[in-house]
Amino acid sequence: MDSKRPAENSLNIESGFASTTRRGIAANSVREVNFGDQHHHHHHRGVSTKHVRYGSRATDSEVFSVSQREINDEDARLVYINDPGKTNERFEFAGNSVRTGKYSILTFLPRNLFEQFHRVAYIYFLVIAVLNQLPQLVVFGRGASILPLAFVLLVTTVKDAYEDYRRHRSDRIENNRLALVLVNNQFHSKRWKDIQVGEIIKLQANETIPCDMVVLSTSDPTGVAYVQTINLDGESNLKTRYAKQETLSKFPEKDMICGLIRCEKPNRNIYGFQANMEIDGKKLSLGPSNVLLRGCELKNTGWAIGVAVYAGRETKAMLNSSGASCKRSRLESRMNFEIIVLSVFLIALCTVVSVCAAVWLRRHRHELDFLPFYRRKNYSKGKVENYNYYGWGMEIFFTFLMSVIVFQIMIPISLYISMELVRVGQAYFMIRDTQLYDETSNSRFQCRALNINEDLGQIKYVFSDKTGTLTENKMEFQCASIGGVDYSGRKGISEEEHAGYSVRVDGIIFRPKMKVNVDPELQQLAQSRKNTIKCKQVHDFFLALAACNAIVPLVIDTSDPTTKLIDYQGESPDEQALVYAAATYGFMLIERTSGHIVIDIQGQRQRFNVLGLHEFDSDRKRMSVILGCPDKTVKVFVKGADTTMLSVIDESVNQNTLHATEVHLHAYSSMGLRTLVVGMRELNPSEFEQWHTSFEAASTALIGRAALLRKVAGNIESNLIILGASGIEDKLQQGVPEAIESLRTAGIKVWVLTGDKQETAISIGYSSKLLTSTTRQIIINSNSKESCRRCLQQATATAKKLVTVSGVTCDTEGTSVAALTPAALIVDGTSLVYILDSELEEQLFKLASKCSVVLCCRVAPLQKAGIVDLVKSRTTDMTLAIGDGANDVSMIQMADVGVGISGQEGRQAVMASDFAMGQFRFLVPLLLVHGHWNYQRMGYAILYNFYRNAVFVFVLFWYVLFTCFSLTTAITEWSSVLYSVLYTSLPTIVVGILDKDLGRRTLLKYPQLYGAGHRQECYNSKLFWLGMMDTVWQSLAAFFIPVFAYWGSTVDSSSIGDLWTIAVVILVNLHLAMDVIRWTWTTHAAIWGSIVATFICVSVIDAFPSLVGYWAIFHVAKTGLFWLCLLGIVVVALLPRFVVKFLYQYYSPCDVQIAREAEKFGNLRELGAIQKEMDPVLDRPQR
Amino acid sequence: MSPNTPTSSSGGTGSADSSAARRNSKRPKYSRFTQQELPACKPILTPRWVISAFMLVSIVFIPIGVASLFASRDVVEIVDRYETDCIPQRFRNDKVQYIQSSEDKSCNRSIKVPKRMKQPIYVYYQLDNFYQNHRRYVKSRSDKQLRENSSADDVSSCKPEAYTNGKVPIVPCGLIAWSLFNDTYSFSRKNQQLAVNKKGISWKSDREHKFGKEVFPKHFQSGTLRGGADLDDSIPLSEQEDLIVWMRTAALPTFRKLYGKIEVDLEADDVIDVTLKNYYNTYSFSGKKKLVLSTTSWLGGKNDFMGIAYLTVGGLCFFLAMAFTIVYLVKPRQLGDPSYLSWNRNPAGH
Repeated sequence: MDSKRPAENSLNIESGFASTTRRGIAANSVREVNFGDQHHHHHHRGVSTKHVRYGSRATDSEVFSVSQREINDEDARLVYINDPGKTNERFEFAGNSVRTGKYSILTFLPRNLFEQFHRVAYIYFLVIAVLNQLPQLVVFGRGASILPLAFVLLVTTVKDAYEDYRRHRSDRIENNRLALVLVNNQFHSKRWKDIQVGEIIKLQANETIPCDMVVLSTSDPTGVAYVQTINLDGESNLKTRYAKQETLSKFPEKDMICGLIRCEKPNRNIYGFQANMEIDGKKLSLGPSNVLLRGCELKNTGWAIGVAVYAGRETKAMLNSSGASCKRSRLESRMNFEIIVLSVFLIALCTVVSVCAAVWLRRHRHELDFLPFYRRKNYSKGKVENYNYYGWGMEIFFTFLMSVIVFQIMIPISLYISMELVRVGQAYFMIRDTQLYDETSNSRFQCRALNINEDLGQIKYVFSDKTGTLTENKMEFQCASIGGVDYSGRKGISEEEHAGYSVRVDGIIFRPKMKVNVDPELQQLAQSRKNTIKCKQVHDFFLALAACNAIVPLVIDTSDPTTKLIDYQGESPDEQALVYAAATYGFMLIERTSGHIVIDIQGQRQRFNVLGLHEFDSDRKRMSVILGCPDKTVKVFVKGADTTMLSVIDESVNQNTLHATEVHLHAYSSMGLRTLVVGMRELNPSEFEQWHTSFEAASTALIGRAALLRKVAGNIESNLIILGASGIEDKLQQGVPEAIESLRTAGIKVWVLTGDKQETAISIGYSSKLLTSTTRQIIINSNSKESCRRCLQQATATAKKLVTVSGVTCDTEGTSVAALTPAALIVDGTSLVYILDSELEEQLFKLASKCSVVLCCRVAPLQKAGIVDLVKSRTTDMTLAIGDGANDVSMIQMADVGVGISGQEGRQAVMASDFAMGQFRFLVPLLLVHGHWNYQRMGYAILYNFYRNAVFVFVLFWYVLFTCFSLTTAITEWSSVLYSVLYTSLPTIVVGILDKDLGRRTLLKYPQLYGAGHRQECYNSKLFWLGMMDTVWQSLAAFFIPVFAYWGSTVDSSSIGDLWTIAVVILVNLHLAMDVIRWTWTTHAAIWGSIVATFICVSVIDAFPSLVGYWAIFHVAKTGLFWLCLLGIVVVALLPRFVVKFLYQYYSPCDVQIAREAEKFGNLRELGAIQKEMDPVLDRPQR
Repeated sequence: MSPNTPTSSSGGTGSADSSAARRNSKRPKYSRFTQQELPACKPILTPRWVISAFMLVSIVFIPIGVASLFASRDVVEIVDRYETDCIPQRFRNDKVQYIQSSEDKSCNRSIKVPKRMKQPIYVYYQLDNFYQNHRRYVKSRSDKQLRENSSADDVSSCKPEAYTNGKVPIVPCGLIAWSLFNDTYSFSRKNQQLAVNKKGISWKSDREHKFGKEVFPKHFQSGTLRGGADLDDSIPLSEQEDLIVWMRTAALPTFRKLYGKIEVDLEADDVIDVTLKNYYNTYSFSGKKKLVLSTTSWLGGKNDFMGIAYLTVGGLCFFLAMAFTIVYLVKPRQLGDPSYLSWNRNPAGH
């Protein structure tokens, strides 16, 4: 049924690259969608200026304020139905043409440049280039100074232009699509771009909706329309939209429709719409279920007519088309510190040069006029004047600026570009990894954020959702407790027996698409028509399951014309499971419209009028439906979570049943089943009337409709008779326990945050091996601040005792202490309301950090974010949040790294995430393998880039000391420009993408190796400073060996400059070669190719007679001294590094080094033995 | 948890679905490249490898060092510093005045050949403390003008020595040409003139491509301030080899420039009489002037640095090889020994 998953499921490398800059390419008709007001949370890490309350009440007031806003006429948009002229006369509403292209031909260059120069690096580039153009400061020739900047700008500009061209093209296609629009009482084809707000549009089946519109009527007599929102939010199931009763019988061609829609201003919330419609003197309220949104497709509906309310860029789809969040990796933030250090170096070098120059000028101030190489005075004109000399002070100042220009690459600008390329390459390999491909959903790994790849190697905390993340979110009805009797059909049933229930109507067999385990006893009861109480309860129970939901049955043809399948489409997998169960037991939902449902009860079609429906909301945690039954009674069926249901059940009746059900509920949830309680009540006419009036009033109310409706629902959902409870199994995903164990062995703390009940959470904890039988559970479950405080204090004491008993002291290295501490903290959402945002937070954090496992149950979405923030703000450790549903969005965005599971619950989580994948267990290869590699590669690449540029700058600097501090460079300006662009850039990128310190199998087998990232082994200030010392030594060797060798000889500056160029390039590349761990042909090609390319480039540069260094390389390369110098430089420069590296690797090996040796010399098996011995160490409490 | 297999399955269309799914499966294609499993060499610094590397370096470096040292020792070099000696005693207090005056600048020196020198013997002048690499200096030239006659006006980069009298462009322009060295030397042995060959002292590439055959000096050294040598207006730049040599600016403040070649052998204890004209003004910046006669080896001139450096590095590597061998024998570590793993070293907590 959903073989066609969303097209954007696979992010190709190209669009991934685009999103690093600003946004993804969206070639589809609808752009990437982001949700709600989450954009507020798109702050950079650590600069959370906005105070967010994580309590659950926040949502309430938000809803209320929305409806408050709506009445305000100034804030409303007035749409006159079928009168676009009047609608558009006062305010200019946007037309329906869309422009996702950012630039036009005219504005392209200025705007694109403007945007590019938002990067600090480019501004630095530009300032240097501009400085160089000042006549006093000309260091490089015009061309050479502009070239690098121009090159980078050009590449980016071409890329942007291409992307924009594609956007323009898709815009053009989009804008020229045709739709039927009512003009002069007839529907005419009109281009999308010409559609105006207020016009009436007719849609045919399977057409894409051109703009946001309010449904007036549909082919369905009850006014239902089905839409597929796959382009909008990626959900493939059908959603129902309703036309209002008052409009559905109108035919725009015949009778004039006149009316006024007053709706809220365009906003990006695709799940909300607040409006009212005045038509024929009546005022109707409109909600999200009355609008068709641009980009969706009309399905299973012959036609639909609607009035455009938002068009073009004001549609919700377009408002949501913004790029992924912009995060900055930990490594990059750390790197910025080192960049500052390098800037200090740069300033120091420049200061040294200017001070020396000042002293020299002072000393020789009387000679300057006559010095043949200075000649301050210009005699060639009539009067004698200073030539290019502006006084001592100014000369020093200019010297300073010139030295900044000469030493500019000390700040490795090219690093930013190579980092970006490296990340793209890494992303390419992550996407292409077959181990991260999910067969069941046919989805590849997606890299949505491209700048935090390396963070994956340093994750310390994983916050996981449960449903759909740890579990499959494929609900299966397992057992039911009806009238206090438990029916858990666990007796062996042969295949034939549950071939599935089917009904035959007019010779056509209807069969539910999914089959469900049946309990024979229960089936018998359901099929019997005896009038016992038991039977009646069972009957009502299944009726409730079949009726009390928002499921739409779809009839699908099969290859066999006499058989039709019924596919239940709906937003909640639980409901689907329940309806399938009801169908299997003979209560088959056949048809649903807004006014009635048809249920086939044991072969008899019965029609129920749906008099009212109170939708599920997260506060009530239940839904109810009021049915007018065929026997003229009116019943309310309620279904919901046990906590909220048990409080509205009339306890005076059937106490035994209630008690038995509670026992069963506990048993079910201990088995890890999701439980729902079902209740009902028959309404007497007066009750019904009372409800009806208040329901009508509430649903047309303009102020606080949601709150009013909730109140009405609360009134009717009371004094219920308990029918029973259902247990739905949500199976663990494949490999989850192993994955969690792996992660925890790697020293990662796994916290589970779930909306489920405590018992369910604990049982999932057991089945996923988070908890073991010896784990000491610390449960915090209180409902006031004071008791919370007490609980926390007690718990902390307990935890402390546990810690000391097990003999583990808190250590700073934090390797795998947590894994040894056998305490699990279980907190529930109610307690969190009191703890979060209060002084108790600190205490909770301390307690949690002592526990090896933390389970939070019954938590609201914002609380999830609050818990992530709790950890994030108190430690420097990296956090990762993984989830699949809309309720995980806030947590995903709060965490340093957000991972979305492209699962059953739509794609909101994926949209908000940085990485998306199909299965929880992929987290293991993602973190332990790719994260480890990416971190190691990026860490090395950054340090190497620092070194590579600094060594060159130092060589330039030493030479300046021999030129009267006049900033001459012996190295040609072209070589110094090409140095970081061409001579040395490719190897770092190749190594940054392809080098692997350890093989995949080793990394997966020994998760502890992940600790390298935690300990920051690949990038830390010690490495930086050691690297800088090495840099200075290498530059000294590279510079002074030729100086001494050529001292007092006839060598000219071009020749020795070429020698320095080549020496530094070879040195830098061999330095890299020394550190490369895995030599593939690409590495060979890049490193040796770069050296060869340098020789070629230097030769080409020296082949221009117009340049000073004409033919110098050919002269100097003929001499033996040149080659002796090269050899000497390489050996002398690399010797200390080689020695230190060897000593360190041999006598103080890190884990990675040992594993590498083991990998190479094949004694991995020995490690395996150790690994086995180690297991009991890790799970020590078991002994 | 229930060990039951799930009973849910998609209905009759299942097989059709799955075949369709296989066709548009997004499973990444397997290749050794995309899975990062290309065949690779994984070198590891084993002690044996490292020790051999050091041995290899010492084996290569020590002979090279010895050879360079010998080559350098074979070179016979005579250096005669003359800038002070060639000033008459009475001008010693004000050398600049002397050099700028119109006094006779001749100066006779005699040098003794310490060892037999085989021809060709290169005659160099060496300047100390002359920054031919100063930014103002190196920039002050016009390569275009030197090459093409038509670009005689292209003197914008030559300031402050671009024009005479404010408007007439100088060829060759610029400070470098202006400051052309103009001391001259002539040699005699036993009153017999020793010919100095001044042809072919510059780079052939420069003569042929960098300095034009059609370009003749114009208005050279006609400004207020005289810098150095004058040029014969009738000889094209491509044949003005002293200029060509001078225009290859030196990399370091102490440098030699080739003056000419003596193409006869000099015997040991020969006394060479040098008659030199001490024209060039290095006195205003206390630069030194030296006359150098030197033979050459495969390594160039006389310079022990390379030999000593190679011997030192070779020796150091030998020492390191020995040291590592001893350390390796005394305290070996088995490669890949898991007991060194951090989680094994301290099983209690770390």
